[in-house]
Amino acid sequence: MLKPLSSDKWNYEMAAHLLNRAGFGGTPDQIGRLADMSHDAAIASLIDYESIPDPTLNPDWAHPNPDEVRQLREAIKAAATPEEKRQIQQASDKLEQQRMLELRGWWMQRMARGPRPFQEKMVLFWHGHFATSVEKVRNPYYMWRQNELFRRLATSNWEFLLRETGQDPAMLIWLDQAQSRKQHPNENFAREVMELFALGEGHYTEHDVTEGARALTGWSLDPQTQQFIYRPFIHDNGQKTFLGVTGNLNGDDVIAIIVRQPQAARFITAKLWNYFSGQVPDDALNDALAAELRAHDNQFKPFLRTLFRCEEFYGGDIVRNQVKSPVQWLIGSVRMLESDLPPTLISWGMLRQLGQDLFAPPNVKGWDGGITWITTNTLLARYNDAQSLVQGTLPPLHAADLARKQGGANGQRLERAMKRMRMGGVNVEKILTPDERQDNAILISSLQHRLFQGSLSLNQQEAIQQFLDSKTKMSDADITEAIRLMMSTPDYQVT
Amino acid sequence: MKNEITLQTRREFLRTTVLGSALSWTVPAFLADTFSALQARAADSATQINTGKDSTILVVLQMAGGNDGINTIVPYSSDDYHRARPNLGLKQNQIIPVNDDIAFHGSLAGFKSLYDGGHLGVIQGVGYPNPNRSHFRSTEIWQTASDSDRVEKYGWLGRYFDNACSGADPTVGVTIGSQLPEAFFARMPKGICFNNPQDYRFMPAGPGSEESFRKLNELENSSPLPDGGPAMMDTPSDGSNSGGSIGALPAGMPMTGGRAIDFITRTALDAQMSSDQVRGIAARVQNQAVYPFSPLANSLKLVARLIGGGMATRVYYVSQGGYDTHTNQISSQQRLLKDLGDSTKAFVDDMRAQGNLSRVLIMTFSEFGRRVSENANGGTDHGAAAPMFVVGDRIKAGLLGRYPSLAPSDLFEGDIRYNVDFRNVYAGILENWLKTPSAPILGRSFDPFQIV
Repeated sequence: MLKPLSSDKWNYEMAAHLLNRAGFGGTPDQIGRLADMSHDAAIASLIDYESIPDPTLNPDWAHPNPDEVRQLREAIKAAATPEEKRQIQQASDKLEQQRMLELRGWWMQRMARGPRPFQEKMVLFWHGHFATSVEKVRNPYYMWRQNELFRRLATSNWEFLLRETGQDPAMLIWLDQAQSRKQHPNENFAREVMELFALGEGHYTEHDVTEGARALTGWSLDPQTQQFIYRPFIHDNGQKTFLGVTGNLNGDDVIAIIVRQPQAARFITAKLWNYFSGQVPDDALNDALAAELRAHDNQFKPFLRTLFRCEEFYGGDIVRNQVKSPVQWLIGSVRMLESDLPPTLISWGMLRQLGQDLFAPPNVKGWDGGITWITTNTLLARYNDAQSLVQGTLPPLHAADLARKQGGANGQRLERAMKRMRMGGVNVEKILTPDERQDNAILISSLQHRLFQGSLSLNQQEAIQQFLDSKTKMSDADITEAIRLMMSTPDYQVT
Repeated sequence: MKNEITLQTRREFLRTTVLGSALSWTVPAFLADTFSALQARAADSATQINTGKDSTILVVLQMAGGNDGINTIVPYSSDDYHRARPNLGLKQNQIIPVNDDIAFHGSLAGFKSLYDGGHLGVIQGVGYPNPNRSHFRSTEIWQTASDSDRVEKYGWLGRYFDNACSGADPTVGVTIGSQLPEAFFARMPKGICFNNPQDYRFMPAGPGSEESFRKLNELENSSPLPDGGPAMMDTPSDGSNSGGSIGALPAGMPMTGGRAIDFITRTALDAQMSSDQVRGIAARVQNQAVYPFSPLANSLKLVARLIGGGMATRVYYVSQGGYDTHTNQISSQQRLLKDLGDSTKAFVDDMRAQGNLSRVLIMTFSEFGRRVSENANGGTDHGAAAPMFVVGDRIKAGLLGRYPSLAPSDLFEGDIRYNVDFRNVYAGILENWLKTPSAPILGRSFDPFQIV
């Protein structure tokens, strides 16, 4: 188990697999450069990202804003009429929406253009794992801050990460821990930290939930500093028994006791394996993975190095057998096609429509993923969004839909504004040489290599060939439509 | 064997036409559409005797988040009720009484009028043994009709499709939304979903595009099926997905059998087949009632048009979210229930105007009710049993079953006890409404709850 892939098997195809999974894929040149390195060096170039400078600037509002929150509250209180109150609230909601849009664009750009794709892939993992939604948190600063926490601790230690996330302001709000007190312990976080974050159902009892909630009382949020605060006077100092341990336990104890369970390693290694490989590990493999994590003192970095080295990760049931998440689909397309991410409003609209609204997962369980990404609806949406992505046109209907939701004159203005937006699109000259454009068979072969790092079926190649052959004078738009058709296949939805 | 036949038929839909030749990309798209639709209809009548213009239809309405049943159907004369809910207990001016003990929530005027007209049944105190208070697990239990200590791979409606709808039409189940509910998960996945009929199509850019698209998405392009038929949503026979180490991974999440691409290829076929049909109907059929403005109302409006257009669908699935009222319950539940009652009422009016009311049964469910005692934040926490609603003109109207006791000594861990297992309700719907044996679908025999 977990033997390193033998060096004679390390080739272009495997390098593409590594880049697709540990990152968001890349161009033939980028894959070629990885393939030219040793396997270990290729892995290191992705996961040892600390030495790679990342010059991304933070949004200018990304700092504590207690005064802003307080002023809003006071302004609402002081409002003379209900109408005035409504207007103040509306202005505040609008600002929140603008910032969330900016935040989504900021993160998508980091994924699409940033120098540390693996780090962003881990941030996406933790966001899906500790799935927290702005719909309840309602504070862009807190959402940004949690996102940065996942970035900072992307490959750190399990216990540390679990505690830091539990004390993260967005999480304190999301699972109501900030409202829990001795007299009325709130069980939400106590339950989910075991069920969804660290152990899984069947590895704790209802009694552990109740007792854990008592122990966690005192973990709170200070609105003055917008930081975690421990409040001893709302902590339940009585004796509790949690997962077999008895004492005057507190929140730190709860986290430590959870991570001490053998199941805590098994739970997270199974989930990481599933995220990167697309499969559920069988018990033997997951035992080995969990042992590896524990052997490294619950540090994720060395564990992930083993994961990307091991031959199991390059198995026939793994390679090109993972359904692309919407984010993988969008970011991967932009990276492979060397194009710009569409304007945030459009990119965000696509992800929403495809079922992965960043910063707004459907619930605390996160996105189910896998084949559940694919429905008749989302599949057709992917095919249609591919068109606007490669041709740089407005997505035909959902943009109008967004505008409609705004309603009235505002909506019409938005629609006009979106029609003027520069959408990026694929620059054909950038990805194809003049020679490749001379011969349709070579053209198809080059595009397949770029989009699939492999081939479509002969039947499918013939369909593209016939489409191109039917054009008497081939324009760039015909070539981009051929790319779009290649993306409008079941094959393009897997990686 | 059944699965193989189904697949074969699906393939035939797409490839064979009355022209007697393969449906290749050289056939103009509009012709191809017409012929596959004709073919589909012919095959429906041959293989799905229960599907079509005259059969019964089930509309499942999910109230997601765990609706507080106690403030929905209110035991307003109970002292225990007001003691447990000093702040949240509804006052005389916040309820619509139906008798001396029981009242509807005040914003359920829509339901009350259906109730008075004999079109609404309230099944009181529905739940299941060993209730689970996790949203996800309890939803899964309702969706799969499993015992609370067992994880089932397939949904109860998916098993209904597998058992009773062996025809090839993927539109036997329609979900309004972008994701299929777990209830639809099936050995042979069926069911389509979409938000908006206008978007529900491949949009070609220029000539030749659509023809190429069809050829690119043919069944031939996927890898060969494993022996014994397709298994794209199957999990391995060793049961490695049924609990244990990965208990929280949902049944539908992993790809553990077959190739992902086989599943996607089949979905692509279903999408092509259903897209023309749905858009055609949505363009042709108008609503004949006035609905509120809400996502739920929009979903029901769409369902009404699809029913009016004669879709072969037997199960529609719509949902309404927001019931997880840990805080500020009064205002949010008021808004949600008003939407629920008014939207449902409008849908019933629409069905009556269409002449389809006698074919339709609406069933609501929520993953759990909420605690009897209010919490400190103006809300309620996750509980257990709650009422279900059934709506139609052939249902048993009125208060069905009995209201569970709120007396502290009768509670279990702070929750009311269920009187009716939801699987008895499912059995009643399967046996008496969808006219199919329920035991093979529910795993064992449940007495059908008499609702029809």
